[in-house]
Amino acid sequence: MASTNTGITLVDTRAGGCHNHGVPRVLASWVRPARLAAAPLGLAVAVGALLIAAGPGMFTTYAGRSGLAAGLMVTAGLALVLAGLLASLTSQAGPAGDLAVLAGIVWFAPVWVGWEVGPPLVRSIGMLAAGFVFPLLFYLVLAFPGGRLPAMGTRALAWAVYLEAALAALGLALFRDPYLDPACWANCTDNVFLVRSLPALARAVTAADRWFTVAAATTLLAVCAWRLLARRGRARVVLVPIVLPAMVFAAATGAHAIALSRIPLEDPGNPAFQLIFDVQNAAVILLAAGLAMDAVMTVVHRRGVARIVANLGEAPAPGSLESALARALGDPDLRVAYWLPDVQSYVDAQGRPVAEPAAAPGRLVTALMQQDRRIAMVSHAATLPELEREFGAAIRLGLENERLQAEILFQLSEVRASRARIVQAGDAERRRLERNLHDGAQQRILALSYDIRLAHASAEADADDRTRLFLEQALADVQAGLGDLRELAHGIYPAILTEAGLGPALATLADSASIPVELHDTVQRRYPEVIETAAYLMVAEAIEDAAGRGAGYAAVTVAHRDGRLTVTVEDDGQGRSASMTEIADRVGALGGIVTIEPTWMGVEIPCG
Amino acid sequence: MRVVVAEDIMLTREGIVRLLRDAGVEVVAEAEDGEALLREVRQAQPDVAVVDIKMPPTHTDEGLVAARAIRADHPEIGVLVLSQYIEPSYAMRLIQDHPERVGYLLKERVFDIAIVVDALRRIVDGETVIDPTIVARLLSRRRRDDPLAGLTDREREVLGLVAEGMSNRAIAARLFVTERTVEAHVTQILLKLGLAESPDQHRRVLAVLTFLRA
Repeated sequence: MASTNTGITLVDTRAGGCHNHGVPRVLASWVRPARLAAAPLGLAVAVGALLIAAGPGMFTTYAGRSGLAAGLMVTAGLALVLAGLLASLTSQAGPAGDLAVLAGIVWFAPVWVGWEVGPPLVRSIGMLAAGFVFPLLFYLVLAFPGGRLPAMGTRALAWAVYLEAALAALGLALFRDPYLDPACWANCTDNVFLVRSLPALARAVTAADRWFTVAAATTLLAVCAWRLLARRGRARVVLVPIVLPAMVFAAATGAHAIALSRIPLEDPGNPAFQLIFDVQNAAVILLAAGLAMDAVMTVVHRRGVARIVANLGEAPAPGSLESALARALGDPDLRVAYWLPDVQSYVDAQGRPVAEPAAAPGRLVTALMQQDRRIAMVSHAATLPELEREFGAAIRLGLENERLQAEILFQLSEVRASRARIVQAGDAERRRLERNLHDGAQQRILALSYDIRLAHASAEADADDRTRLFLEQALADVQAGLGDLRELAHGIYPAILTEAGLGPALATLADSASIPVELHDTVQRRYPEVIETAAYLMVAEAIEDAAGRGAGYAAVTVAHRDGRLTVTVEDDGQGRSASMTEIADRVGALGGIVTIEPTWMGVEIPCG
Repeated sequence: MRVVVAEDIMLTREGIVRLLRDAGVEVVAEAEDGEALLREVRQAQPDVAVVDIKMPPTHTDEGLVAARAIRADHPEIGVLVLSQYIEPSYAMRLIQDHPERVGYLLKERVFDIAIVVDALRRIVDGETVIDPTIVARLLSRRRRDDPLAGLTDREREVLGLVAEGMSNRAIAARLFVTERTVEAHVTQILLKLGLAESPDQHRRVLAVLTFLRA
């Protein structure tokens, strides 16, 4: 966590969460000079190696066998040094760049071992150092991208490989007397670190080291292959330039160890060994090129992010920050989720609820905080691992602004949903009332009327005219009551609307309207009940209103256009003065629009 | 005449059954829902099924669905749908596929049992029956440039009876005129309204109802 002078604190919550790992933010004072010194040192080591290969090491080193081999070796080593310097200068994330520089220098160690006329100490150090190329590159590849080892397992793996290389180097340095080694190769005389000559132990260490190398190389191959397969999209694309050469390198290193176990005397003239050497060097050159490319892309992405705010314009639409970030980082899957503390959940820039962003293979989640308040979570490919550092004050302001906008949009949609629920609850209540009237009161009155009818029949049979006339009057009253009840129920909610839809319901409305109603209904489909009800009630009210204003007719059109149900009512009455607020409220609750003119009214309701 | 009565509300069903029995109609079976109705119809083979439009499970249009099934499976059995809705679209749906031997009456017609018995007889005779209230509402519907304005009172009367599903013979009997006179009226009406003359008297009911609704 680091405070910046803008007052925004940024926290990095990434997969595996390794905050304490890698190079600290404030670089130690010696790091910069050490890095600057690495370039001339690398160059010196390379030139020295070339000289040795051309002279004393002509027969004992691969580089001495041909100009091509020498060129390959020098290119590979220097490429690693250069790519490492580039990486450590452009990104301060993790030790990857420094590891590459170190690996590049150590790359020349086997040649220095062959410096037969050189000081024994140099040759002995070369013997010690040569074994560390593989662990260094192993770590480098596993830590890519981002420069940090993503999980506990890989971290343990990398350190195991380091430890084994150190133990093997130590064992051989202390107990291997090259003079007594029948399979000695470039250096058969000097080991200044020798404490006691234990040829059997030295042989055992050598053999164990070979098999461990085979196992480690196989593991690297498997991890690389798994990563390529497990990741998708951008996260996979960025892996390829590093992981593919690494796989070739791992295969060649494994092949080298296996070849040594079969042919213990390593002869640079052997075509099999030569081939392995060439492949290893080519793979390392490609790996270094991949590292360099990644470093360049980091700079490109950083510049892109820095330019975002300038390109956004004055009033960016919701979500434009996310798409601008995605463009700048070349990551179409990048997502920004804004935190709403009131409801304790995340929304996108449009205010739609989204799940809390989670880290996935090759993807990071970066949280942005302001004074210990969460603003947003950015889920992005691990191409620009220290993303939060690239955000200047302007973009942070933009993010906070968009968060506020998202919060308002979210609240708006909540209010809209609540309005829709209120309208729906009202509709449901109307329907319930209508059903109760039909199934309860109306049925009872019907049954009553049947009873009266039977009584009437029996009065008729008994020739009881007084009762008969009395019952006839009762029947007429009941009939009128039933009619009233039916009209009342229909007015509360027309059952035909639920059962047959808007078209038939409007036709029935036109049947009994007090003014002529012309229906131009081009829609035969069904809509959600709440939409049909809104459209029906709008027409009903508009017709009633038109009749009240002395209209001679009303023309109703119903159409479905661009995912919207459009209903209009036009009449020839006097201009209206009523504001029709009930319709406006009802349609507004569905996110629709009402247009009211003196003799014309239209609604548009979104209906998917 | 043998009928099956389907109605889910017991009070109403009992009332209908008693009134029908009083009027001399033989009620051979009763049903509470569409499924039971189809079963009883299959077993009892009545002349007509008297069916409530709303029955379990959804209480919407089970009666219409059952009516269609009965007319499709048993062409010789008629269906009289009783409804509490003055809804032309239900009536038109009922006569859409099988216009003969079906009827749509409002439930309160039952207490004028003579009308129901008459409707049952017409259905057995192969006619169509549409409730006069529905026809009256359609005839009184307000229109701009009313095409019905060009009809004489007698023609309007004949048009209404045609819409109620009556045959020319029945109309002649009702109006105390000859069948030829009715035929002449019908031809004149169809001409004035711009409707094609249909040889099938059942089809003309739907055509007239559709015209009145347009």
